[in-house]
Amino acid sequence: MDEFTGMHAWAIASAAIVSAGCALVGALLVVRRMSLLGDAISHAVLPGIVLAVLAGGRPGGPLVLGGAVAAALATVLLVQALRREGGLTEDAGTGVVFTTLFAFGVVLVTAAASRIDLDPSCILYGVLELVPFDTVAVWGREVPRAFVTGAVVLAVVACGLAATWKEQVFTAFDFEGARAAGVPVAAVTTGLLAATALVTVASFEAAGAILVVAMLVVPAATAELLVRRMGMLVFVAMVLGVAAAGLGYLAAWRFDTSAAGMIAVVLGVQYAVAAIVAPDDGLLARLASRAALAWRVGCEDALALLWRIEEAGPGAPRPAGSWLARATLPWLAVRGRVVLDAGRWRLTPRGQAEAETVVRSHRLWESWLGRHVDLPLDHLHPPAEWIEHHLGADVRRRIEAEVGPRESDPHGRSIPPEP
Amino acid sequence: MSPAAALPYNTLVVAAAVAAVGFAAGVVGCFGVLRRRALVGDAASHATLAGVVSAFLLTGRRDLPTLLAGAFVAALAGLAALVAIRRFTRTRDDAATAIVLGVSFGLGIALLSGLSARGVAGAGGLEQFLMGHTAALTSADAIALAGVSAAAVLVVWLALKEATLVAFDPAFAAACGWPVPLLDYALVALVAVMVVVGLPAAGAVLVTALVVIPPVAARQWTDRVAPMLLLAGTLGLVAALGGVAASALVPRLPTGPTIVLAAAALFAVSFFFAPERGWLARRRMLRDVARRIAAGTLTPDEDHADG
Amino acid sequence: MSAVGAPALELHDVTVAYGRRPVLWNVDLTVTAPGLFGIIGPNGAGKSTLLKAALGLVPLAGGSVRLFGRPLAAVRERIGYVPQRETVDWDFPVSVMDVVLMGTYARLGWFRRPGVAERETARAALERVGLADLAGRQIGRLSGGQQQRVFLARALAQAADLYFLDEPMAGVDVRSQERIFGVLDDLRRQGRLVIVVHHDLRTAADWFDGVALVDMRLVAAGPTATVLTPENLRRTYAGHLDVLDELGRAVQRGGRTS
Repeated sequence: MDEFTGMHAWAIASAAIVSAGCALVGALLVVRRMSLLGDAISHAVLPGIVLAVLAGGRPGGPLVLGGAVAAALATVLLVQALRREGGLTEDAGTGVVFTTLFAFGVVLVTAAASRIDLDPSCILYGVLELVPFDTVAVWGREVPRAFVTGAVVLAVVACGLAATWKEQVFTAFDFEGARAAGVPVAAVTTGLLAATALVTVASFEAAGAILVVAMLVVPAATAELLVRRMGMLVFVAMVLGVAAAGLGYLAAWRFDTSAAGMIAVVLGVQYAVAAIVAPDDGLLARLASRAALAWRVGCEDALALLWRIEEAGPGAPRPAGSWLARATLPWLAVRGRVVLDAGRWRLTPRGQAEAETVVRSHRLWESWLGRHVDLPLDHLHPPAEWIEHHLGADVRRRIEAEVGPRESDPHGRSIPPEP
Repeated sequence: MSPAAALPYNTLVVAAAVAAVGFAAGVVGCFGVLRRRALVGDAASHATLAGVVSAFLLTGRRDLPTLLAGAFVAALAGLAALVAIRRFTRTRDDAATAIVLGVSFGLGIALLSGLSARGVAGAGGLEQFLMGHTAALTSADAIALAGVSAAAVLVVWLALKEATLVAFDPAFAAACGWPVPLLDYALVALVAVMVVVGLPAAGAVLVTALVVIPPVAARQWTDRVAPMLLLAGTLGLVAALGGVAASALVPRLPTGPTIVLAAAALFAVSFFFAPERGWLARRRMLRDVARRIAAGTLTPDEDHADG
Repeated sequence: MSAVGAPALELHDVTVAYGRRPVLWNVDLTVTAPGLFGIIGPNGAGKSTLLKAALGLVPLAGGSVRLFGRPLAAVRERIGYVPQRETVDWDFPVSVMDVVLMGTYARLGWFRRPGVAERETARAALERVGLADLAGRQIGRLSGGQQQRVFLARALAQAADLYFLDEPMAGVDVRSQERIFGVLDDLRRQGRLVIVVHHDLRTAADWFDGVALVDMRLVAAGPTATVLTPENLRRTYAGHLDVLDELGRAVQRGGRTS
């Protein structure tokens, strides 16, 4: 592998590893509705980092990591203290604390510029491109320091969260329940916040303060749109994060722009795509299911209409039915439910059975309404028109058992038996 | 007029404009804070960067009105994205804010960085919108900012009762026939306006502090809305002026952080020394109550007796 | 001006859905003025939802609402509303007088400030609920009963013909409850209709002319003596309607129940 490709590979690897760490922690933050606290911490660690570097710590070294964790915990304690002692709401307190701490950090960086080599702008969005040039020797090979930090942090955080996984998930889904069950929620939360601080610092060089927020929250939010179980959610979030890191870096190389910025953009695109195509919840899925429902209702209305015409007998006035019901007739013919006979549509035996199901649902529901709800007789039809499409066999049997083995609905019409 | 005489005038005008912006931001921010939606402005403010750079890309112009117009459009787009996420997905509000904030800022950085890499003339000046830089403001720009700020304050003053009602009890307001969603959007749009107007002074990253910290500080001093608005405006004004002055002493220091620290200092004073709600006052009252309990001189509160 | 003889409140086949799941089914209810009318039922069974549907605070999935024979938008100035207490932020920097003045805002219209006349109305309302000497106090510094009376005063300041109150007696001591009931009784005697979502069956039997029993649907409605029978109460309170629950979920899914 030539040197050039090697450097790109290391840059992508570094971005991927910190992204994985952020996605892992972010999954818990998102589920616990602590996304904005994650945002606050990613800003507030700055003064902790700067003070640690001023005290002699190496970037990415233990002193800096410790300083970041201390800053994160200080943030949370401050917000809680402001609420307790000053009556500030959670959002107001967070807004006050993180802007103040971040501003303090920027002032420190600018004031100590002679002693620290940190460009304030880079704090905001990192310098992923330069990461491969700052290496340390690991087992004889030159490895980027940011990668090493990222790997160590990922290992520590993964182990810590894995060891406390049940408690973390329980607390995330049901804080009060966990506390009542004896889970040490304060310790669990502190652990999560410490993990947030660690992954934030590890990501600083790759992505800077603001974009860490994107790496923390977006993969998990995207995963939440796609899967429901926590284990899958974490896995999908991490995969998305790593993918975004790679794609974002390549896109940045192609368009000659900031890697961190492009990673955030790719994450946003992932989220938007998921929102549209997610099964069940996505936009397309919802439109499709609504269209499917409307079509089913149209088909059932058509069948029930034909049945009622036949029940009323020849010579009775023929209601027209909705345009949608009429539009479904050719499709019903293809499916063998109706046939065109001398210019008039007729039900086949299969169509008859299905039509009877719908009419039975309708009349049973009218009976049930008449029994349980204070509605006048002429108000029973519209609700039954609606509900007839949603009653299943089991519930029909229960209603029938309840209203008694009657054979007619409140209007005196007979209720077809279960086919 | 000789250049020497023109300089103080410009500085004065900019100072006055910064003061006006600080005042208006404090006033407008009160309702966001009272509604417990203090951080909605954060999503708007981070989106402004992309707007500023896009405006430059599309028009090739670097004058302030063009750039801020782009910032405003982007802020509204960010807020619209928030509404869309809330309406069409299961994602919760706090995550939605973080998503809009992070992704829009990433887009802004990508655009800005791309411009810098290509050595596009004039792109360097856009970096100032990250952290605030008032030195480059012209008098005309400053007057425009002051004008918009004054208009915002006027709108709030005109619709004070409507804004207070909707912030306090939206259900009752809706039952009375007030268009609550419209008023909500109007309040949020005002915050977006102030965020954009505050960009030159405080920068995209920290401008939310201007609409959050002064109202929170003002709340500690008073139990009524109108005095809170006035005080928040005053504190915002002092913080903005103080911050700009302090940053002028250290040339390399951007104005955003110093304004925020000035506001934080005012908040700290309010937090500790405000009468009744301040920390010292509460300590004193608790000690007082403990003393009276010990001495047996504490009587039950009279007007709670009849429920 | 309402249609001659139109009842004060008419709900016609009202269905309310949260998301796409129906929570209140096909309610048909007519209430005439004057009177003190209670809406009774188990918790979480749609009583508040019914009130909010009447006030246009939640969208209707079906049916219609008429007040004095006309749509809500045309008669808003004749409606008074006391929402549930827990929806309010008690730390909000407003005084008792500020809150009661809010009842006069709708009549003032856009941008006009409350003046002497409005303050007089507010003061009179505070007198009626016995809080005149607490006018300057911030609302967080009141007891539960006092807070409820502030909201009642606000509704009185609306000078309405039809009042809706959502659980006004919840968490309020007995003496305040009696005082509140006294005010509502006065309103009834002045020819108004007062509709109250109420949680306590015992006092319901004593206080209300008519009641509606609600458990996801209207079980029965009419004069108190005829409606509050053991049979009706059993149908409302005992026995959860699983059918409606399952149907609600099926409708939300767009499919059939099992």
